[in-house]
Amino acid sequence: MKVPVRWLSEFIELEEEAEKVAEILTFGGLEVEEVYDHYQTLGEIIAVKVLEVNKPSELKDLAVCTVHDGKDSFTVLTAAVDLVKPGQVLALARPGSKTFFWDKIEVKEVKGYKSWGMFLSPYEAGVSEEKDILLELPHDVKPGENIYKALNISETILDVSITPNRRDCLSILGLARELSLLTGSPLKEVKFGENLKEGSQPKGSIEILDPDGCFRYVGRWFSGVKVAPSPFFIIQRLVFCGLRPINNLVDITNYVLLELGQPLHAFDWKRVAGGRIIVRQAKEGERLLFLDGVERGLSSEDLVIADAEKALVLAGIMGGEESGVSDNTQEVFLESAWFNAKRVRLSGMRHRLTTESSYRFERKVDPEGVYLAMLRATELIFRYANPEEVSIIVDEYPVRFTPPRIELKKKRLSAYLGFEIPEEKVKGILNKLGDLEVTPESFILVPKSYRQDLSIPEDLIEEVARVYGYDKVPTTYPEGVLYCEPPLKTLELTQKIRRLLAGFGFFEAITYSFIDPKLIEHLNFSPDDPRRDPIKLENPISAEMSVLRTTLVPGLLQTAFFNQAREVESLKLFEVGKVFFKAEELASERLNLGLLLAGWKSLPSWYEEERFFDLYDIKGVVSALGEALRVDFLFKPYSEEPFLKRGFSFDLYLGEEKVGYLGRLKSLIAKDLDLREPVFVAEIYLDELLSFIQGERALSVKKPPKFPSTFRDVSLVVKKGIPLETLLAYLKAKEIPYLEDIKLIAAYEGKPLDPDERSLTLRLWFRAEDRTLRVEEVDPIISRLVEELIEKFQIRLR
Amino acid sequence: MTKEDVAKLRAEIENSLAHAKSIEDLNSIKVKYLGKKGFLTNILKSLKELPLEERRELGSLLNQIKDELEKALKVKEREILLAEEDGITDLDLSLPGREPELGALHPLTIVISEICSLFERLGFEIAEGPEVESDFYNFTALNIPEWHPARDMQATFYLENGALLRTHTSPIQVRTMLRKKPPLRIIAPGKVYRCDADVRHSPMFHQIEGLMVDEKVRFSDLKGILTYFAQNIFGEDTKIRFRPSYFPFTEPSVEMDISCVICKGEGCRVCSQTGWLEILGAGMVHPEVFRAVGYDPSRWQGFAFGLGVERIAMIKYGIDDIRLFFDNHLYFLSSFK
Repeated sequence: MKVPVRWLSEFIELEEEAEKVAEILTFGGLEVEEVYDHYQTLGEIIAVKVLEVNKPSELKDLAVCTVHDGKDSFTVLTAAVDLVKPGQVLALARPGSKTFFWDKIEVKEVKGYKSWGMFLSPYEAGVSEEKDILLELPHDVKPGENIYKALNISETILDVSITPNRRDCLSILGLARELSLLTGSPLKEVKFGENLKEGSQPKGSIEILDPDGCFRYVGRWFSGVKVAPSPFFIIQRLVFCGLRPINNLVDITNYVLLELGQPLHAFDWKRVAGGRIIVRQAKEGERLLFLDGVERGLSSEDLVIADAEKALVLAGIMGGEESGVSDNTQEVFLESAWFNAKRVRLSGMRHRLTTESSYRFERKVDPEGVYLAMLRATELIFRYANPEEVSIIVDEYPVRFTPPRIELKKKRLSAYLGFEIPEEKVKGILNKLGDLEVTPESFILVPKSYRQDLSIPEDLIEEVARVYGYDKVPTTYPEGVLYCEPPLKTLELTQKIRRLLAGFGFFEAITYSFIDPKLIEHLNFSPDDPRRDPIKLENPISAEMSVLRTTLVPGLLQTAFFNQAREVESLKLFEVGKVFFKAEELASERLNLGLLLAGWKSLPSWYEEERFFDLYDIKGVVSALGEALRVDFLFKPYSEEPFLKRGFSFDLYLGEEKVGYLGRLKSLIAKDLDLREPVFVAEIYLDELLSFIQGERALSVKKPPKFPSTFRDVSLVVKKGIPLETLLAYLKAKEIPYLEDIKLIAAYEGKPLDPDERSLTLRLWFRAEDRTLRVEEVDPIISRLVEELIEKFQIRLR
Repeated sequence: MTKEDVAKLRAEIENSLAHAKSIEDLNSIKVKYLGKKGFLTNILKSLKELPLEERRELGSLLNQIKDELEKALKVKEREILLAEEDGITDLDLSLPGREPELGALHPLTIVISEICSLFERLGFEIAEGPEVESDFYNFTALNIPEWHPARDMQATFYLENGALLRTHTSPIQVRTMLRKKPPLRIIAPGKVYRCDADVRHSPMFHQIEGLMVDEKVRFSDLKGILTYFAQNIFGEDTKIRFRPSYFPFTEPSVEMDISCVICKGEGCRVCSQTGWLEILGAGMVHPEVFRAVGYDPSRWQGFAFGLGVERIAMIKYGIDDIRLFFDNHLYFLSSFK
């Protein structure tokens, strides 16, 4: 809320500078976001000297003035042809600045003549109500100087952020009360319209048919009012607070809203059919044309102010176009009411409407302030709208406000805060909040009607502590019961995975949980694949962030694109994060690990040949990960994932369960996404994986061997259709004596081999536990094996 | 040969050993004295002709010299060989080494685990909760009913099935308290979501929620724990201050500022000349929240706090644009190796 300090000082003596007042409020709990001079926010509004005035014949009604700003000369066009004269010092709003009434100034051009700004009238400059003259400055004002500085005009504003609980501070009076509480300095005694309580008979009736929606309704009739512009100080203050001035009656309602926090509504009584004001539920399907020009359908949950025939106003939120005050209005009915905060809030949410009025009603207005506001408005209407006649005040108050009686035990106060506050201080603070009774054990407070945020003892503890000062709270350490629980399994797993992958040279990415549904389409999931059917956001930021991800792959691909577009040629990324699927309630959230390799495995260096990533890079990472996590990953060739190249991919299994996949992204999809190839991805389902890790498998701890091993290399020329796995499986099944391990140490294809052949060199390790093996023991084993392989697989030796 | 001659010989040998610079020099010394026709060999042969007494005396002296020479030659040889190894210096030592590839954790992961492990040391357990939440856990149970204006403080993403993306990590408080009896201490990190996007706001960001419930937890304990936290994360000389604030689920509520880590409180651009940085929100758990989870508010007291991880990381690492965290550019990520 924007608070003009001068206005505030009408309610409380402010001895401190504005900056200090801001600090007091901030440390009282209402953060002052900015302290500024309103006039200086308008931009460059400067004095210029008029050097020359020309009236070219091709420009009707416009004069071209050459002006000087102390540095340069330039032209300004003006319609005030008869007012400008050479030698004058005028107020110029430069392009980029704005007038007091928010009109933006731009460079304009008429028939080749440019206007570098606009001369302002005193009214447009926000200095006085004079509209028909140009703001002329004394001759001693230097061209180029800011006019407000030259004229010594300023208006200090505090921009206060009011927390939702402190609706009582959504007004000048409320902030004055808060300052008085915080500083101890007394409020100025301001009495409004005490002498204006009497009047003529009411011109109509007020009927509250829905007392759950309206607890109090105060109304009054004014006859023979003159609708006209408001006095300039009201216009200024509305503008300082961000409200647009309209006419004296509407402005007065807004002025009272800002000053006292009570929204008012003025009706054109001629438009109220049957002379009846009826507060009731809207009829289902009833329609109302609102002040903002939109016609909306109402429901029975909405509260309306109606006449004998129809709804006129959505109560507490916005008025109808027809019944509002216009320039021709003479008879006015003024409303000041206390509506049910919850009803206003829900109604506003349904219609997606927030107004200055609803903002205050939904935070609860002061039940007693309702009457005061009517008096204040009456006073202003008398002063600035010259009514011929005013009625008595009609006060319908079906639901009396009863403040709570809050008992705060003295022991509770210190046990809760952790320190003692002198009782005199506590009493001093609570006394300002309402009627206080002190017993040997307790403080009992009945809070003032405007402090409806106070309802439980803890509220009083907060009031006492914050007014006393949070800086006086000591630093202590808690006493508690010792206990310890084992860490979360998922957390242990993800921490281990993260550290391993960072050790493998991967960088961790964190991408958005919401993605572009088009990216999912690119992955070509089959119609029954749940990943194809993501959860949609009702109110996404943009289409690119409109569904919850069902796989980590799109985010990683997008990240790869972002990096490739910015000079990154080699990328190793991983992400640990949730994916989301539709479920009966909420969503089914699964924790996944995604990996991505893109571009160059190694860039040119003095010791290594450059090469692209290939399938065995990602396969190696996944198997190393499996080894470190002590699970036996099964790499099932030819993944079913539709976005991977079949011949360059695996589905990953643990036992019978699929726990992920890995492989190369299809070239066509990479092309669609503007990715430079090759791109390899893997995704591992950590929730599934976790069930295989639980109950940590006993480690098999190996001792250093006592006797040496020996190895033999066998180079086999094999038909290409036979995978290594087949040979290894065959060998392992044979239970070869002393065989300890087999490793592929070379693979070759090309000349002089046939095109359908390749050569594989296996190294077989042998060891006996109780002695050193002799040559005569190993060699026959090898020769027998080779013979068998040759026979079984039509292999030849190299 | 006299004793004087022997002394002279010893000096002569020592001298030539001292001047030997190479293996060749050593070889020639060896040949000269110890070879088949070497000087010492010859003298020792000729001793036979001397009387027994003289032979014994001179023989032992000469044999001693011979042993010493043999030992000295070995030592000297090793010295020269070692020195020769140092002589090879034509390798370009300025070529870069073959580095193993280094990866890195995301800065947010680093900050989260730093903060969580700090609280784990204080006996807090890590807790987690779903990112897709119901209105009940995200709002109602936290004393924010449907019509409450405090809902405006958190622009919420809703899903097609009526669920929402949690706007804060506070629902984890509720879920944990519903599951477990007090006393408890939890620290709960996680992703949260709000419909905001600009330089300072990301529609997705991370929070860490802390909660302690016990019979005697006091407001001043909150200040103690948070002081400990701030001084551990931002440095021992960090000062903190509490400002009153408002959250529907705490009473009293506070915002905590720390003295600016850049200017140490002098005032700079980062802290908008105030010398202070807003760092987290906290307070004593509101009795309504205890009631919602079935804890007796007259017996249990507790504090809760929630902090924005990105904010902490931005302050710690001097990052001025929150979007950098989610762009994941390699240059950015590799700063955290």
